[in-house]
Amino acid sequence: MLPYIVRRLLIAIPVLIGITILNFCIVNLAPGNPVDMFIDPNTPQQLVEAKKEMLGLNDPLIIQYFKWLWQLLQGGFGYSFSSFAPVTHIIGERIGPTLMLTSISLTLGLLIAIPIGILSAVKQNTRFDYIITGLSFIWTSMPQFFLGLGLIYLFALHFKILPTGGMLTIGGDDNFADRIKHLILPVSVLTIAIIGKKIRYVRASMLDVLKQDYLRTARAKGLHAFIVTNKHALRNALIPIITVFGMEIPLLLGGSIIIEQIFQWPGIGQLTMQSILSRDYPTLMGLNFIAAIIVLATNLFMDILYFVADPRVKYN
Amino acid sequence: MKRMLFINLLTMFVIILSACSSTTNKSDTQQSTTPEKTDTTIAEKIEATAKPKVVSIGIVNSPTTLNQINHQGDSASQTVLGIINDSLLDLTESFEFVPKIAESIESTDNQTFTVKLNPNAKWNDNAPFTTADVAFTLKTALNPKVESTVRIAFVEGLDDAGKIPAGQTEISGLKIIDKQTFEVKSKTPIDPNIFKEKFGTNINFLPEHILKDINPEQLATDPYFQNPTVTIGAFKYSKFAKDQYFEAVRNENYYLDIAKLDKIIVKVLPATNLVAQLQTNEIQLNSLPVGLIPITDYETIKNLPNINLTSSTPSEPAELFFNVTKITDPKVRQAFAYAINRPLIVDQLFKGQADIIDGGVPINHPYYAKETKLYTYDPEKAKQLLQETNWDSQREVSLLVPSGNKLREQAADILVQNLIAVGVNVKIQKFDFSTLIGKVDSGDYDLTIFNRDYYFEPSLYLTLFQSNNENNFLKYNNPQVDALIAQGETETDPAKRLVIYNQLQAILHEDLPALAIYSEKRLQAVSKDIIEGKPANVGQFNNINKWDIKQ
Repeated sequence: MLPYIVRRLLIAIPVLIGITILNFCIVNLAPGNPVDMFIDPNTPQQLVEAKKEMLGLNDPLIIQYFKWLWQLLQGGFGYSFSSFAPVTHIIGERIGPTLMLTSISLTLGLLIAIPIGILSAVKQNTRFDYIITGLSFIWTSMPQFFLGLGLIYLFALHFKILPTGGMLTIGGDDNFADRIKHLILPVSVLTIAIIGKKIRYVRASMLDVLKQDYLRTARAKGLHAFIVTNKHALRNALIPIITVFGMEIPLLLGGSIIIEQIFQWPGIGQLTMQSILSRDYPTLMGLNFIAAIIVLATNLFMDILYFVADPRVKYN
Repeated sequence: MKRMLFINLLTMFVIILSACSSTTNKSDTQQSTTPEKTDTTIAEKIEATAKPKVVSIGIVNSPTTLNQINHQGDSASQTVLGIINDSLLDLTESFEFVPKIAESIESTDNQTFTVKLNPNAKWNDNAPFTTADVAFTLKTALNPKVESTVRIAFVEGLDDAGKIPAGQTEISGLKIIDKQTFEVKSKTPIDPNIFKEKFGTNINFLPEHILKDINPEQLATDPYFQNPTVTIGAFKYSKFAKDQYFEAVRNENYYLDIAKLDKIIVKVLPATNLVAQLQTNEIQLNSLPVGLIPITDYETIKNLPNINLTSSTPSEPAELFFNVTKITDPKVRQAFAYAINRPLIVDQLFKGQADIIDGGVPINHPYYAKETKLYTYDPEKAKQLLQETNWDSQREVSLLVPSGNKLREQAADILVQNLIAVGVNVKIQKFDFSTLIGKVDSGDYDLTIFNRDYYFEPSLYLTLFQSNNENNFLKYNNPQVDALIAQGETETDPAKRLVIYNQLQAILHEDLPALAIYSEKRLQAVSKDIIEGKPANVGQFNNINKWDIKQ
């Protein structure tokens, strides 16, 4: 297992570099540039040129890329074009809230979707199953922004028990209860979207396994139904479930852009949006780089989990 | 299964821990600001036990920078900078100058301006504000190696871009007389109001005693600008979390009347939440121009019992710009003007909260050409004009619209329908602003629509139409207009300038390189708890030390 992990980590390096090259090209190919944001027609052209020179935008692309790579090797992403703050600092501030939001939602999603999915499969074609599949269908189809706005209307404006957005009460005392209150709505929206999709996967995967012969054998030798379902069946159903949950992590980071906008959650989703609109290349490159690392790390983590779930999986 | 559960619980635990650790960071910064308050008098202590007076202002775009000499034209940054920085003068909503750091600005020949500073003026750390700070700020901001938004190219000794020429360190037009007095000489005589606006109200200052040792090339990335605790203003910087909020607390060492409020918070939130948070009293007012309340919420907000709603003075209009190299005939441009149903846009889309004007100068501006006879909505006349010019109805005309401002996008949709109705084959294309500007600058458009800034100085509305201006993306070229623009810039008598600018606006109205579509009267929502203070297009914070709220 260990040599496999080391090999995977080594392969990740050229992959990462490839990703940064692609990203760099895409970011720079997008029409418009940071200096074009000078819309004031009274800005003298010399100043616009001076700014381009200062930001290094007049260098050939390949030089710009190597300058960026050099900064990266020294452990930084450079300075933001808009706020001139170090990009590592900007992203550092934002990644915490996003991780908090997404990991809590993912954990809750897992804890809810897996048992319900199993139950739904075990009780296939019962009223419970119909209700759950119906609900998960609704939850999957409901757009997140719609659900988010609906919940804000209901709980923040109508009942006035939860805040409309933000991570903490600005100007208020910063305490744990306050943070939890702010988490409830965004976490609910993300969790509902996750369980909607995942229940269906878990259910389908379990149904496949439940039909297998070895389960009939297990039941025949008199094992308790609980053990049959949760030990023998679930373990075998886990592989496809791990895959879809693994795919969910990068999706969550992207998908939270909408949620972060609606709930003014100060995470990297919001930051990404802002830096795209202001063509803040260094921040964008930093964000892309981190996203790439997260995706690669998730893939590796999933492979390890396969092994944990099913020792028959061999990595050579 | 157990192992997975364990991993999940572990991650959750780590994340909650990290959330807690960020809280401790915050209290650290709070502690660092408290020592200054230890020597408060008993009276202040008693006052401090009362509930602090806090006003929260809603804006929709986050400030990007707190650099007072380089706000990068970002209105949100300018908003928060205005709370913690005073300039020499300030402007009221009715275009009157009020003294701030400067006690007086005088000139006998409209070329040499003598500025006397308020002798009590001091930074919020009690260091005196002197002419040395003025000189330091100008030399820093106008250093060719420093990027800044200080634009005073009219001052003698600066090059055309308004920078100190390479190899020099002094500005010949700036003469320091004593600690409280300095003189500024302009290249040619100018209207004193230009000086008062550009030099008096647009420049914020850097504290020399804090920044004197900084290498100008590294100025922008200096930590001071991430954390500008020392400034000169009624409030001082306390906290800033980009995309979340900006917080400023009362400056106890203010040189004018000390502010009545304890704290001002500027909250960043989506436009759709402005009304919700006004309703729940999470914010007490919106801000202009970056906290615009969507006009679709007009009815809702009018009926809120805790909010007073007013309309602002007319703002800078959304203008339809013509690429004159593509749509060459003024008659065609006039036909477009007759074809557009602006009354419908104002009545239906803006619920009447907008003015119809033809030029870029807003209706309440001192230099608005009152005699202009506006283009009416007359589709028949439009068709007739198009026929006279043999307009090819198959010809595709591209209209570039910046995305983001929903009302402007909807207005653009309406005007596209209007133009199609008279036989113009318009194709609408929406882009984000940066992309749009890229296309417009390279001439890759027929029509575009956007808003320019609000200028007090009238010449700034017109330089766009100057043929030798590199930023003239319209490629408009009219020698008569060029001559009048140059004349207007050098004329110092306001009455004569008015004549020149009326004439200019009349020519542009006939030639029509640009047509204003609507000039919005922005909604100003203020909580009934607020005793003093409201959003405004101009000089929003000129009396911020007088702002007050019921407890």
